[in-house]
Amino acid sequence: MIDLNAYLFLGAILFTCGVCCLMTKRNAIGVLMGVELILNGATINFVAFAHFNPTFEIEGQIFALFVIALAAAEAAVALAIALNFYNNHDSIDVDRAEELKG
Amino acid sequence: MSVYAVLFYVLAGLTALSAVAVVLTTSIVRAATWLLFTLAGTAGIFFLLGADFLGAGQLLIYVGGTLVLVVFGVMLTTQDPRLNLQIGVAEWLIGLVTSLALLGVLVVSLAGLQEPPDAPEGPRSLPPSRQLGAVLLGDTRATPVAPLTGTPQLNYYARVRVHYLLPFELLSVHLLVVLIGAAYLARAKRRRVDAQPPTSSSAQGVAP
Amino acid sequence: MPNLLEQPGYFFVVATLLPLASFALLLLSGGIKQLARRYRDQSPWCESLFAIMDGPSLRRLPALVALLAIAAAFACSLAGGILYFQEQSALQGDLAFLQQELANKERELLKAPEESKEAIEEEIEGKRSAIAYRLATHQRRVDQCWQGQFFTLFKLRPSGATPGRGTQLEVGFRVDMLTVLMFLMVTFIATLIHLYSMAYLAEESADSVEDHEVHTAASHLHRRGRFGRFFLYLSLFCFSMLHLLLADNLLQVFVSWELVGICSFLLIGFYYERQSASNAANKAFIVNRVGDAGFLIGLLIVWSYLGTFHFESIFAQLRAPVRDAHHDISFAGRIVRADPVLPGEEGSRRLRIPRGKKEAGQSGVGGSEGSEVILWPARPPGEYHAPHAGQAVKVVANPALDQRRFRDELAEKGEHGAMPYWMLVAAGLGLFLGCVGKSAQFPLQVWLPDAMEGPTPVSALIHAATMVAAGVYLVGRCYPLFTPEVLLVIAYTGAITLFVAATIAVVQDDIKKVLAYSTVSQLGFMMLALGVGGWAAGLFHLLTHAFFKALLFLGAGSVILACHHEQNLQKMGGLLSRLPITGWAMLAGVLAIAGTPLFSGWYSKDAILAHALGFVYVRPGHLLLFLLPLVTAGLTTFYMFRLWFLAFSGTPRDPHVFEKARESPWPMTLPLVLLAACSVGIAWGWPVWDARASWIDVTLQSNQPNSVLAEFGIVSHSDEGHSHEHGHGHGEAWPGAKKGPLSERQWAHELHDYAGLLALGMAVLGLVFAWVTYYSRTLDPAQARQQFPAIHALLVNRWYFDHLYDALLVRPAIVVARGCAAFDLRYLDGLAHALARGAVAIARLDNRFDQGLVDGLVNLVAGTAYAAGGLVRHVQTGALRTYLVFLVLATVALFIVLSYVALAAGG
Repeated sequence: MIDLNAYLFLGAILFTCGVCCLMTKRNAIGVLMGVELILNGATINFVAFAHFNPTFEIEGQIFALFVIALAAAEAAVALAIALNFYNNHDSIDVDRAEELKG
Repeated sequence: MSVYAVLFYVLAGLTALSAVAVVLTTSIVRAATWLLFTLAGTAGIFFLLGADFLGAGQLLIYVGGTLVLVVFGVMLTTQDPRLNLQIGVAEWLIGLVTSLALLGVLVVSLAGLQEPPDAPEGPRSLPPSRQLGAVLLGDTRATPVAPLTGTPQLNYYARVRVHYLLPFELLSVHLLVVLIGAAYLARAKRRRVDAQPPTSSSAQGVAP
Repeated sequence: MPNLLEQPGYFFVVATLLPLASFALLLLSGGIKQLARRYRDQSPWCESLFAIMDGPSLRRLPALVALLAIAAAFACSLAGGILYFQEQSALQGDLAFLQQELANKERELLKAPEESKEAIEEEIEGKRSAIAYRLATHQRRVDQCWQGQFFTLFKLRPSGATPGRGTQLEVGFRVDMLTVLMFLMVTFIATLIHLYSMAYLAEESADSVEDHEVHTAASHLHRRGRFGRFFLYLSLFCFSMLHLLLADNLLQVFVSWELVGICSFLLIGFYYERQSASNAANKAFIVNRVGDAGFLIGLLIVWSYLGTFHFESIFAQLRAPVRDAHHDISFAGRIVRADPVLPGEEGSRRLRIPRGKKEAGQSGVGGSEGSEVILWPARPPGEYHAPHAGQAVKVVANPALDQRRFRDELAEKGEHGAMPYWMLVAAGLGLFLGCVGKSAQFPLQVWLPDAMEGPTPVSALIHAATMVAAGVYLVGRCYPLFTPEVLLVIAYTGAITLFVAATIAVVQDDIKKVLAYSTVSQLGFMMLALGVGGWAAGLFHLLTHAFFKALLFLGAGSVILACHHEQNLQKMGGLLSRLPITGWAMLAGVLAIAGTPLFSGWYSKDAILAHALGFVYVRPGHLLLFLLPLVTAGLTTFYMFRLWFLAFSGTPRDPHVFEKARESPWPMTLPLVLLAACSVGIAWGWPVWDARASWIDVTLQSNQPNSVLAEFGIVSHSDEGHSHEHGHGHGEAWPGAKKGPLSERQWAHELHDYAGLLALGMAVLGLVFAWVTYYSRTLDPAQARQQFPAIHALLVNRWYFDHLYDALLVRPAIVVARGCAAFDLRYLDGLAHALARGAVAIARLDNRFDQGLVDGLVNLVAGTAYAAGGLVRHVQTGALRTYLVFLVLATVALFIVLSYVALAAGG
């Protein structure tokens, strides 16, 4: 039966994929995609909890809405940063951003 | 196997597989495509969970906004298609191990969760956008109080005691700031081709 | 500020301090000018100050300041002198009157009948006390006005020898007739010489002076002019000399002694770039120093045994008072000797004054033998009871040395002190040695001819008139200190000196050297005079000699300047037509020094020879003491006229020199004329043709110390503490005076005319020889040189004194100096170098330790930190992904830790 744990598991998979994307992508846009995946995983969790916990039904949706809005904002800023980075280094490879290498 | 379960498995599978594909694919455009599918699948999940407004919102904002932004970003940051931004095997290994560890941690923690006390059986729909809007606007009295005949057990409106006006306002200010910031960051700049700072060129005269 | 009219002695103090003020002013302005010169490149107002001070108008200002100061000093001395003479003549008049009355009363006593004898005796007593009162008044006046003390250097408790004063060193002054005369002479001559120097040294006020005797690589030396410096030194010299004359104690005299020596050094070495000048300055100072060693010995003996440096106190202790409470004393003014007899009580001894043998010419009273000298307490004679010959005298052992043990009571009981006789002789000899050095007597005469390296005004002032006279002055001043043995030594030293120097002067070609040796010779005359008892004669000659010697030197300077610094007599000749004033003035000086009748030198030289003859007449064994001055009188005339004839008469031997000769300007000829007038007439008395009637002679005779009369003459029988000799053997002998045949002084008086005739004869002989050799050229000096080669060599080499001193003293000193230098260089410097090397080695070791260990530790710490940082920094890979990996891992780890904690806690 499809209960809460299933949705949570789906959310966990998405989260993990997002983290793995962060860790393995060299393209900055790829990293950004990982961030989107993370956020989506978290949103699924929120909505699942809203569904399965009636006292949380409004809050869950509200949080999920906020997350979506903030994710969009953050994606915009991140893309602006990535574009700046691309303009300065002439490459979108995050491995080029090693000026802070110790 | 109810329709619900089948729908769930299909949508969850789509979403999960698309997410994995995002990770594993080498081309950024393909990753974007797979992301599209992931986001769509997520929207489907939302609809399945009864959050209609949220699903619609996900499709609108994420797929129609954020993903387009991502695609634009991909377009604007193209480089030589022959360049293949790959990482080494060791790094893949480390990443996988770490991700799996994280997955393990998450699974262990979610396995220990207890069922919520009044979890509903079967599908249901979550409060519609009307209530969401009222909550956001801070109106705790979504509907007038029921007459003195008593309250039915599921009085959604009476249970709404919170309002999210402040976070809403904060979010709007935040979005304004982000808008300005992003616009500034992404303004058109002259590409610097020479290494000399522009102020010292007049002082030096003939370059050696 | 003392009132000058009430205390006229301060006129002389002011006269002494005026040149000092001039010196201070010149020193200050000179210092400011040199500072301005030094900093004129760095400061604009230094430059303008220097331009003002070095400008032509102000450059001669130092000379004017010095001249004004010394002229004002002369004016003060003149004022003080006039007042002093007034008081003296008043005193003499009063005393003459009172003594006349006393003599009348005594004649009356002899003729009076018995009954009125008592009344007449009472009146005689009254006359005597009137005389005593007059003398006491005079003494009080002298103490108040003509002497003074300024401050005390140090003081010890009163002791036996000086009960009233204790032993103390005071800075003070005392004026008596000798001081007044010397002051007048010194200030007058110094004023004239200041004026003369302004013209003589005019070339020093130029910006650059060329010194023809100093050769540099290219040509002659060019140096800055030193006009002001000359007057600076002259002012200091004038102050020192006047202070020497004014001092009332031996210590101040010694200070002045050294100061004049320094000034002499500075002025002889005025042209110090010349090797000869600087050598001469050194020689003068060092030879003077030899004399000063003796001076110091004399000072020390005087201080040790007499406890004081004050002249009056010294003489009062050494010489017996001229009378005691009974108006009579056996040894008036004499040194009394005694022998120790019988063990005395605790703290005192007994001496017995022996009864002496009567020898021809010797005193009939004891006191001329004995090994100790009795020291008299410093008390007025009226209160004093003197011992007599044969009497045992209780003597305080040595009050000056054992001051702590003796108190005032002992002194007031009339206890005497004693000192060994040979100590007194040693003291006298020591002091005289100082005078020998200062006055260039044998054997220390070697410095004065070399001192002619200085400018001629310096030679005139210092080495003719004043500084060299200081020795003679001191002998005159300290006369009571000298025992007969010392006086004999003085006489012989003078005699030898006068003869040796005169013989050397005969062969000198340098005009200044002739005059230098002449000075030495004349100083010998003065010493001889002082030694044979002619105190007044010696000092008389000192005064007249100052005038004509200064005249001769200034004339020589005029000649030298006219001949463009040519000093060789053999190159001069016939200058009388070119330099008439100089020539005639110098002739006056030459006549004076030769002893021409009616010139000033005649009176003094005749007096000296008269005293020498009188002395030799009484003691025929010392015939040399008369023969040598007699012969030298002739020699003096000879070489002085030789100088005059060679320079001013005949045909010019060097046309070059003769052509350029021109008479000197008025600042130089005016002093010559004035000094010539003084050389002629300064000593005139009334009647002028009487050799004994010179006013200076008479004045000095009436102011001579008692010891002169006590040793060599007679004392008139009056109750005066002040001795007075009448001419021609008036007065009666005191009980203590020489009885029997006439004394030396009386014979001098008797034989004055004979001595004068003999001297005149010798002088005429000398003039004849000079005329014949150098004027009419009948005899040829070159022939004489050939005929007496040995004598000539002896004279030209100055009796080989310089060679003797060189071999005996200078060379050993150089050898010793070289040895010391070698020792110093090798051992002392070696020690220092070794120590330095040791220090360097230790420093190197220390350095290694410091660098290795200490720095190593610090570097180790730093290196460790650096290495650790170098290891740790690799965490910052700069790659995003690694950070994310760490992030995730940290989250996982955190979760595991927290869950374990929760599990452990929750159970």
